[in-house]
Amino acid sequence: MSKPKVAIYWLASCGGCDEALVDLGPSLLEVADAVDLVLWPAALDFKVRDIEALADGAITASLVNGAVRTDEQAHMARLLRRKSQVLVAFGACAHLGGIPGLANLVGSAEIFRAKYLAPPFVDNPNGVVPTPHAKVGAHELPLPGFWPQVHSLEQIVPVDYTLPGCPPPPPLILAALHALLSGKLPAKGSVLAPERALCDTCPRKPAREPGRKPVKLRRVHQAAADPDQCFLEQGFVCAGPATRGGCGESCIRGNMPCSGCFGPPPGVEDQAAKLVSAVASMLDTRAADAAALAHELVDPAGTLGRYAIPASLLTARRDRTEP
Amino acid sequence: MKTITIDPITRLEGHGKISIFLDDAGEVERAVLQVPELRGFEAFVVGRLAEDLPQITSRICGICPTAHHMASVKALDDLFQVTPTPAARAVRELVYSAFLVEDHALHFYYLAAPDFLPGADAPAATRNVLGLVAAVGKEVGLRLIDMRRRLRDLVAFAGGKATHPVLGVPGGVSRPIPESERPKIRELARDAVAFARDTLGIFHKVVLGNRATLDLIRSDGYSLTTYYMGLVDEQNRLSFYDGWLRVVGPDGAERARFAPRE
Repeated sequence: MSKPKVAIYWLASCGGCDEALVDLGPSLLEVADAVDLVLWPAALDFKVRDIEALADGAITASLVNGAVRTDEQAHMARLLRRKSQVLVAFGACAHLGGIPGLANLVGSAEIFRAKYLAPPFVDNPNGVVPTPHAKVGAHELPLPGFWPQVHSLEQIVPVDYTLPGCPPPPPLILAALHALLSGKLPAKGSVLAPERALCDTCPRKPAREPGRKPVKLRRVHQAAADPDQCFLEQGFVCAGPATRGGCGESCIRGNMPCSGCFGPPPGVEDQAAKLVSAVASMLDTRAADAAALAHELVDPAGTLGRYAIPASLLTARRDRTEP
Repeated sequence: MKTITIDPITRLEGHGKISIFLDDAGEVERAVLQVPELRGFEAFVVGRLAEDLPQITSRICGICPTAHHMASVKALDDLFQVTPTPAARAVRELVYSAFLVEDHALHFYYLAAPDFLPGADAPAATRNVLGLVAAVGKEVGLRLIDMRRRLRDLVAFAGGKATHPVLGVPGGVSRPIPESERPKIRELARDAVAFARDTLGIFHKVVLGNRATLDLIRSDGYSLTTYYMGLVDEQNRLSFYDGWLRVVGPDGAERARFAPRE
């Protein structure tokens, strides 16, 4: 019997998800032994044409990381969807748009300006920016079209499962791979991580003085965080209440607040909106200057929706107003 | 006229496509590398909180996130005009050194060395780290995995996680490393140096010890005459965390030396 075919691919991403797969260590060798890896640009030399040559549905599972913002990324997402029985959105960018999704707060024209026109070290007197069609000598050199917005994978193709995290932690990856290979998968659409919020397993003590509420938000450079006490209770914005657990509370153990990379817990549609309410309830709204308190949060979208702008209600609104 | 397309380029972090245009005689007329990806960090970091940037910019590259994280933290030191305490500086330098070794091990074994063993002519299915481990022995593979795991565990201990660490704050780090960890870290450092020496031995054997490989890497197509720039300490020794930028010519003679701030 031939081994199940597995493809690993990256869209708009950083390679951290691929590194997380390498972090499986000896288990990666076992997995590589049990499957036929047909694509993994970070580590293997297979090409797109090798995937195009496969029959539809020939790949047992594709693990796709990264967000979608170009014609080529959408094409690859659709190609891998067609060739795969199971498609896994792997990591925060594929799941919710991730850090590249912060670009939706900016727009593509500003990205081109900041990248190709504005920097003092760029010499571009003719104001050249990338276009889908360009010629070098007599040769046509197409570039994939650059979309106005970043999208999560699910906004482009149907996704069967999601592995959250930036990057997903190796224990969750391994459990997902075992489930995939043994066919013991949960219901389609499942997020392959615990069904609870991060706060449920946080190692920190909640309030020292029950009922005490901070009146002032604090930023990480303004005070040393007590390593044993709840960040929110100390006034630091922590995404724990609106973030799915399962990461091993790694950032919290590093004495930094959660920034929300696992996305919302079950039942929460919009992570940023949920966090707005969590942060608001922690502030002392009896203070006379409640409105001023709210303004202390200077970048609410980038802070509370760090990894989830494309998947949030915010982007849905922007999309509709786009020309 | 024929075009050879390599899509995607592989065994690196990043997206790329190479088109090689041949003329009627089959000679290379032109070759072009395209990077068909853009995320726009330059634009979307504007408006974010400064102290969040070490965690945002690390996502430029998930293979070398610690380098981007550190560069951003050092920029924050400069912005806030604070000098890290000696202990914080030591933690940062330790984390950066651990990262540097595991990252170089990744580069050599996983990304670059498969070009030489099993070699450029080997089938695509084996021209990778798995093929390399099969050729040099599983023992080497398991030692590589164990070494990288221990080094990455140290980064994670200090910085929460190895891919996209969180330790950097302006003027310091988010948590200390307790004295009780010292023996374990010393042992790790000793083992890492031994591992690096043995890796150098593999390089000599696999790359320099192979006539065909040696001819290839000494050929015109493979050689690039260039200047080099790197960070050095007071005595011009290679330094990775901090120091002066030093530029040398192709002959190794110093051409410039200046503080990065300049």
